Amino acid sequence: MPDDGAPLTESAGTRDLGEVGVRELSELRDLLFGAERRQIDELRRRLDTEELTPDELAEKLPQAIVQRAARDRQLALALAPTVESAIKESVRRDPREFATAIFPVLGPAIRKAIAETMSGLVNTINRAIEHSLSPQGIRWRIESWRTGVPFAQIVMRHALVYRVEQVLLVHADTGLLLAHVPDGALGDADLVSSMLTAIGDFVNDSFEPKKTGELRAFAAGDLTVLVEAGPRANLAAVVRGTPPDSLPAKLQATLENIHLRWCDPLTTFNGDAEAFTTTRPLLEDCIETVLATDRPAKAGVLRRFVWVIPVLLLLAGGIVWRTAHGNQQWSAALARLDTEPGIAVIRTERSDGKWHITGMRDPLAVNPSLLMASRGVDTNDVVAHWEPYVSTEPALLLARARHVLAPPAGVSLSMKADTLVATGRAPELWIVRADGLAPALAGVGAVDLSHVTVGLPPTMEPLAAEIENQRALFATGSDALDQSTLTTLTTVAGKFRQLITAADANRYDVRMQIVGRADPTGTETDNLALSRRRATAVRDRLLSLGVKASRLTVAATGSGDPISADAPAERSRLNRSASFTIRAQPSPTAAERQR
Amino acid sequence: MIQKKVCMVGVFATGKTSLVHRFVHSLFSAKYHSTVGVKIDRKQVQVGTEQVNLLLWDIEGRTPEQEIPESYLKGAHAVLYVADGTRRETFEQLFSLRDHVRSAAGDVPSIVALNKYDLKGQWVVSADDGRKLIGGGFHMLTTSAKTGEGVEDAFRWLATATLTPPSTPTVQPQVRHGN
Repeated sequence: MPDDGAPLTESAGTRDLGEVGVRELSELRDLLFGAERRQIDELRRRLDTEELTPDELAEKLPQAIVQRAARDRQLALALAPTVESAIKESVRRDPREFATAIFPVLGPAIRKAIAETMSGLVNTINRAIEHSLSPQGIRWRIESWRTGVPFAQIVMRHALVYRVEQVLLVHADTGLLLAHVPDGALGDADLVSSMLTAIGDFVNDSFEPKKTGELRAFAAGDLTVLVEAGPRANLAAVVRGTPPDSLPAKLQATLENIHLRWCDPLTTFNGDAEAFTTTRPLLEDCIETVLATDRPAKAGVLRRFVWVIPVLLLLAGGIVWRTAHGNQQWSAALARLDTEPGIAVIRTERSDGKWHITGMRDPLAVNPSLLMASRGVDTNDVVAHWEPYVSTEPALLLARARHVLAPPAGVSLSMKADTLVATGRAPELWIVRADGLAPALAGVGAVDLSHVTVGLPPTMEPLAAEIENQRALFATGSDALDQSTLTTLTTVAGKFRQLITAADANRYDVRMQIVGRADPTGTETDNLALSRRRATAVRDRLLSLGVKASRLTVAATGSGDPISADAPAERSRLNRSASFTIRAQPSPTAAERQR
Repeated sequence: MIQKKVCMVGVFATGKTSLVHRFVHSLFSAKYHSTVGVKIDRKQVQVGTEQVNLLLWDIEGRTPEQEIPESYLKGAHAVLYVADGTRRETFEQLFSLRDHVRSAAGDVPSIVALNKYDLKGQWVVSADDGRKLIGGGFHMLTTSAKTGEGVEDAFRWLATATLTPPSTPTVQPQVRHGN
């Protein structure tokens, strides 16, 4: 023992204990702390190594994948090369395994691609057949137009009549029959099933030894057997007639469906077809009889709405025609408007679905809206802005002269250089008025009225003269109407009515003045009163004969304005009377009346 | 009802078709042999309560020029080998024929029908040969197309064997051969 009093170190102590002691101590330690030491060792190992054990990894991997995939695309990017390599390797080892796995997915995708290609092909055929013009072709073409079905399809529809008589589901490897519809149609369906497989194998081995193609169809006379091959089962359809292009696709779809739903029974098949009796409804769906007369029924929905097509075409055509026609009408109306006197078109443009037109217009020029409407332009679509101006074009000058001067019917106006020339027959009043007004018209330099004679129009003149020659005679000192005078007044009333009609036609305003007279006997005062009574008596009689009061005026002259005659007795008789004076002048125009 | 595919193979002219002719239901004529190379018949066998439909692929016999097509053997549940007791080469080729069948159909139950037992006097196959065959892993029985002897036995054995799980050892059928 050391005598320096220093404490014993463990090593010194251990040394002193000897080998046996160490072992015992170690055993004791193990007994007391064994479990804890192992835990500590495990913790230390975990701290020292960053790697996970396979167990830990298996625990965390799914969750890790989910989390990482949700975060970004790194996982997919990292896995892609490995997955691609794995697929390549799998295909290299055994392509059939991979083909079997993706068979249900591949079929629809391929069919879709082929359908699109075929659709294009049908269009090509369609164009080719379009040149055939047989009577039947024309009939089918009409049907195609009516139903909206492409012509080629119509042709095929008429050409095809077929019946799927039997459908067999055959196990691919063994050739054993899995299911068969309809029941009892084929007594030896199992033999046929195997033989079909054998024949398929025979064709394959004989003609395509290197390829993995399958016998798809074989025909004998009217009968065709279509075979759709799948990895585990084949579907054979016995068809009488010409099977349509759609039938293989239908069979293929059925077969894919069966592969999907009966995957396990197909894989484990060992001769017991019991599991496949449930495929019969699917197979029965493939059984069909299609007659030519059946086919159009399939287009029922289409046909119900087929009327829409011509209606739409008509509408579209109508819109196109209307637009084109509208544009054409507009251009024509615009050209016409531009040549119209007193109208100057400055600018036109199309915006907001309307025509906008800007220009100048003499107030006497034609109404542009009416002109455009008469040319078929919808004036609701036209927005016009016209600035007023005075046009000196001859046509407008004349229009303005007619508007202002209102010449009677017998008078015509024309322009000779800047001189307004009037010819015809007119009342003197009009001549005087025209002479005064005309030079004031814009664009008129001078007026020539030398060719206008004074007088009423020819249809009025004789009537006026006849009336003015009539005398309503009275007895001395009397204003009573005797029989002879009444007859005269009836004649006057009739003639005056005729004159009014003629005056209306010539646009004249006509009135009649009744002038009462008396002979020179007696005082002038009495005579004046007598003559007024006589004129009034005549007027009353004419009124009773239907002449309007507005057309009649009464004047009394007594003996102051006698009618002359050679013999004194005759002169007295003629002046015991009432005479008639016709006053006629051109009617004022509507514009003048407004003024 | 259970269906099984049984391939019947042998060297050319061992009398396969004649052997089964009276025992099977035929739909197709013999000309299928010369055209397609296979003719399919049906043989119904009752095994216990189960009725088994054997679809018998009577495959055209092997010739020195032409091997039996593998595609016909594919998926077979059992194989019936036929050899002609009067022609030694048909017997000797059984081993290579079996290798070919196994490569296409796998190790399925199979039996050898040593045919033309009715011509036993002309047989060139001895009892030792028969033992050699059994020693080589073949099941075997003797048959006669003429008398029909052994044919039903062969089918029953095949039907039973196809229904038995592969692991269960099958009983060697009774073998009769020359004495």
